[in-house]
Amino acid sequence: MTKGKNDVLQGTLALLVLKTLQHGQMHGYGITLRIQQVSNDFLRVEEGSLYPALHRMEQDGWIAAEWGVTENNRRARYYRLTAAGRKQLAEEEKNWADLTRAVAAVLQLA
Amino acid sequence: MSFFARLRGLWRPDQLDADLNEELRSHLAMRSDDNIRAGMSAEEAPYDAQRRFGNATLLKEEARRMDVIQWLETVAQDLRYALRTLSKSPAFSAVAILTLALGIGANTAIFSLVDSVMLRMLPVQHPEELVQVGMLTPNFGNGHRTSYTNPLWEALRDHQDVFSGLFAWGTSPFNLAQGGVVQTARGMYVSGDYFTTLGARPAAGRLLAPDDDQRGCPGVAVLSYGFWQDHFGGAPGAVGSTIPIDGHPFQIVGVSAPGFFGTEVGTAFDVAAPICSEAIVNGKNSSLDQRHNWWFKVMGRPKRGLTLSQISAHLEALSPQVFAATVPMVWNPVQQRSFRTWKFVALPGATGPSFFRGNYALPLEMLMGIAALVLLIACANIASLMLARAAFRRKEISVRLALGASRMRIVRQLLTECVALSLAGAALGVLVARWSSRLLVRYISTQHNRIYLDLSLDARVLGFTAAVAVLTGVLFGVLPAFRSTRISLADTMKGGGADAPGDTRFRSGRWSVAMQVAISLVLVITAALFVRSFTKLTTLDAGFDRDNVLLAHLNFHDVNAADAERTADSSEIVRRIQALPGVTGVSQSVLTPVSGNTWDDMIVVEGGHAPTGQDADVDLNYVAPGYFNTMRTAMLEGRDFNDRDTGTIPTVAVVNQALARKFFPGADPIGKTIRRYATATNLSGPIEIIGVVRDAKYESLREDFPPIAYFPLAQLPQGAERLNIVVRTASQPSLLAPAVEQIIGSVNKSIALDFSTLAQQVDDSIVQERLLATLSGFFGALALLLAMVGLYGVLAYLVLQRQKEIGIRMALGARHGAIIGLVMRDVGVIVVIGTVAGVGIAWLTTRLVQGLLFGLQAHDAGTVAIAVALLAGVAFVASYLPARRATRVDPMTALRHE
Repeated sequence: MTKGKNDVLQGTLALLVLKTLQHGQMHGYGITLRIQQVSNDFLRVEEGSLYPALHRMEQDGWIAAEWGVTENNRRARYYRLTAAGRKQLAEEEKNWADLTRAVAAVLQLA
Repeated sequence: MSFFARLRGLWRPDQLDADLNEELRSHLAMRSDDNIRAGMSAEEAPYDAQRRFGNATLLKEEARRMDVIQWLETVAQDLRYALRTLSKSPAFSAVAILTLALGIGANTAIFSLVDSVMLRMLPVQHPEELVQVGMLTPNFGNGHRTSYTNPLWEALRDHQDVFSGLFAWGTSPFNLAQGGVVQTARGMYVSGDYFTTLGARPAAGRLLAPDDDQRGCPGVAVLSYGFWQDHFGGAPGAVGSTIPIDGHPFQIVGVSAPGFFGTEVGTAFDVAAPICSEAIVNGKNSSLDQRHNWWFKVMGRPKRGLTLSQISAHLEALSPQVFAATVPMVWNPVQQRSFRTWKFVALPGATGPSFFRGNYALPLEMLMGIAALVLLIACANIASLMLARAAFRRKEISVRLALGASRMRIVRQLLTECVALSLAGAALGVLVARWSSRLLVRYISTQHNRIYLDLSLDARVLGFTAAVAVLTGVLFGVLPAFRSTRISLADTMKGGGADAPGDTRFRSGRWSVAMQVAISLVLVITAALFVRSFTKLTTLDAGFDRDNVLLAHLNFHDVNAADAERTADSSEIVRRIQALPGVTGVSQSVLTPVSGNTWDDMIVVEGGHAPTGQDADVDLNYVAPGYFNTMRTAMLEGRDFNDRDTGTIPTVAVVNQALARKFFPGADPIGKTIRRYATATNLSGPIEIIGVVRDAKYESLREDFPPIAYFPLAQLPQGAERLNIVVRTASQPSLLAPAVEQIIGSVNKSIALDFSTLAQQVDDSIVQERLLATLSGFFGALALLLAMVGLYGVLAYLVLQRQKEIGIRMALGARHGAIIGLVMRDVGVIVVIGTVAGVGIAWLTTRLVQGLLFGLQAHDAGTVAIAVALLAGVAFVASYLPARRATRVDPMTALRHE
C-alpha cells in the first residue's frame, strides 16, 4: 500500500464521502469505487482510512448505517446521509469552494 | 448524538467489534470478487484485496479508538497490566506507595486546613450573600475594626435599612459548674436575628428568635449539636431542662443542626444565649449599656440587588449620627473626637470573620509550600527508582516495540503504571491526612482556646488530592517513560546494551539527585530557622521563672460578699496554702504574664520630657506582697509592697526598668510620683514609686520588654472579681492542685476556679511557633531522608555499572581508599552542586518567613552552616555505604561477568 500522489487529501475525504452519499445509500466498498469512477481514476481513496472516517462520521451523526444485502447477495453495511450530514455537506462544499477560489486568486496574482 | 453514540458503545462493545469485522470482511470479499471478474486468479484475488487494504488490525484499532469504550478498555487493560507488573516487584511498589502516601498525605492534610480556614464558606444558607460590617478608623490604618459595643450595635441595627437581616454575636466562656473547679463551655451571645438570618435549622426544639432578645428577657439557651451529644447523650429531654450559666439557670429551648459551628472559623460554640441575657449573668456589671466594652461582631444579609459599594455608601451616610450617639464616655476628649469620625464599611462575609485565620494564614501558606517541595523530592526519588527499574525492563519493552507497538502506546502504558502508583499512594494519603489534620488541630488547641475546624472532606479537598496524585504520577513518570522507550532495538535484543557510565540515563539520575539535595537543603534550612527561633523563645529569660508555678484563677462572680470580705477570703486562702508542704511561695495578682489578658492605661509624669498621650501608655498589674519574689522577678531598688500598703494614702507603685528608663531617663525613679486618669478628664492624686523590678514579658514572649507599672492589690479601687493565686512549688506544681482546690472550697464554696501552670501558660502562648518548628522539622527530616535514599540509590546503581572497571583497577592493585575516593568523588560533585543551588534558593526564599522568626535573621549564616553540615554528614553516610561495597568486588568475578 504505497501512497500515490493522487491519494485523497486528508480532510477532503469527509467531503467526498458526504457528496457521494448525497444521491442515496451506499456501502463502503461502493463509495471507494464511486469516488474513483467519478474522478476518472484520478482520486483514489485509501481503503485503510475510509472505515475509520466512516465510523467517525457516523458517531458525529452525519451519516447513519444499517446492514443490507448487495445485488450479489453479500451482507454489507449501507451508509446514508442524515439531516445533520446534509448540513455538514453544504458547509464543507462552501469551504472547499472558498478555499479553491482563494488559492486560485493567489496563483493568479502572486 | 455523538456522545450518546459513544456511550451506547459502552453497552455493546462486542457488537461494535463484530460489526466492524464483518464490514471489513465484506469489503475484502467484494474487492476480491471484482478482482476475479477482472481476470485475476482465485488465489491471487484475496491477497490483492488484502494488500490494497493494508493493515486491517491497525485499521480496526484506529476505528475503535474513536470509542469511549475503547479508551476505557485500554485504560482497564493498561491498569490490569500495571497492577500485574507492580505486584511482581512488591518491595519497589511498597516503597513508592508509602513515599507517595506520606507526600500526598502531608499535602492533603495541610490543604484541608487551608481549605477549612481560608477557602470554605460558612455552613449556612447562601453564605455568599453575607456581608460583614466593619469600621474604618484612623488608628487602624488600612485595616478594619470589626468589634462593637452593645450600644453601637443597637444604634446600627435601628438606623440601617440596607439589610434584610442584620445580626451580632460575641463569644464568652460560660461556666457550667456551680462553684469549685470551672467547667467551661464555649458560650456565645447572639442577637435575635442571628439564627433566622443565617437560615439555621434546629435539630431539636427551636432556635432563638427576635422575641427572645428583648431587654429584661428570661434566660434561654440553644445548644450546639456536638455539645448536646457529649453532655446530654442527644437525649430529647434536654430540651426544656435548665443549665446553669455562671450560676444562673437558663432554660434550653433547642439544639442547632449538626455541622453548624457558629460564624467564626477556628472556634465552635457549645451554648448560645440571647444578648439581653448577659444582664442576668453579669448583673450590675452588665455590658449592655457600656459604651467601651467591645464584644460583638456584626454581619448581615443585604436586601436583594445591592452591591457591596452601595451598602458601604449607605452605611457611611448614617455613620456620623450612629457614632455621635454612642461615644464611649470614659475615653479622653482626643479619643472621643476621633470616635465621631469613624465610618462603617461593608466587607465580604462569605467565609466569616476569623481571628484564627489572621494568625495562621501565613504559617499555613508556608507549610503548604514546604509540603509541596517534599512531594517534589518524593517525585524525583521515585523517578530515579523508575529509571533504575527501566533498565531491567529494557528487554520487555524492546520486544513490545519490535512486535509493532507504537512508542506512544508504551509510554502510555508506563505512565499508567505511575498513575496507578500515585493513586494508590493518594488513597493511603487521604487516610494519613484525615488522621494527621485532626492531630494538628489538637496540637494547636490550648487549655483556654480549643480550636475547632470543619475538616470534613469536601469536593475541593478530594479534587485537590486527585489532581495532586495524577500530576505527581505524570511528573515522576514522564521522563522515565520516554527514556526507557528510546531504545536501540537491535542492541537490546542482542542481549548487550548495558549502560556506559556516561549514559544519559545516569546523567539525568545525577541531576535529579542534585535537585533533591538542593530542595532538601532549602527545607532543612527553613526547619533549622524555625527550630532555632522556637528554642530561643523557650529558653529566653522572660524576667520570671516559669517552672514550678501553679496558677489558680479565682472568679468571685457568684460570691455574695462585700469587697472587704473578698479580700479576707483570699488572704485566708493564701495563708493556708502557704502552710502546705512543698510550697515555697504564694502571692496574688490580677493578671499573670502571657495569659492573653492585658490591662493598659496612660500615666502622667509631671515635668521634664516625659512621654505624653498614647506614648505614655503602659501595662498595668495589681499584685499582692511577695509577688515578685514568687515569680522570681528580681527587686532591683527600693522595696516590695507590704501589708501596710492599703487604703488610699499614700498610693504607691513599683515599676520595671523599661518604665524607669522611658519616663525617668538618667534619674532615680524611687520617690518620684506618677498620676493616672481617675476619669476621662480628671487626674488621680500622686502615686509614689517605691521600688524598681527587673524587666519581664507581659503580653507575649515575642515582645520587647514593655514598661509595666505594678500597684498593690489592696489599693485596687473596686476590688477584683477575678484573681490569680500564684504558688511556687518545690516539685511538679500540678500535684498541688487538689490540695489548693480543697482549701479554696473550704473557705468559700462559691468561688469558681480554674488551674494551670505558668509553664503551660507560657507554652500555650507559643503554639504557632511550636507548630512551625515541629512541622518544618518533620518535613525537613523527611526531605533529608528522601534525598539520601535517592543519593544511595543512584550511587549503588553507579557502582553496579562500574563493577568491571573497579574489578580491573583492583586487579591492577588499586587500594580500597582509592576506590572509595573514586566513587565518592562523583557524589561529591552532585552534593556540592545541590548544596550551592540549595543555599542560593534558600537565600531568595527564606526572606518570606522573616515575620515568623524570633531573635534571628532569615539569612542567619550560623543556621545555614548547621543545615549544610547536617546535609553533608548525612550525604557522606549515604554514599559511603555503596562505596564500601564497591571495594568488596572480587576482581575475578567482575572480570568474568561478561
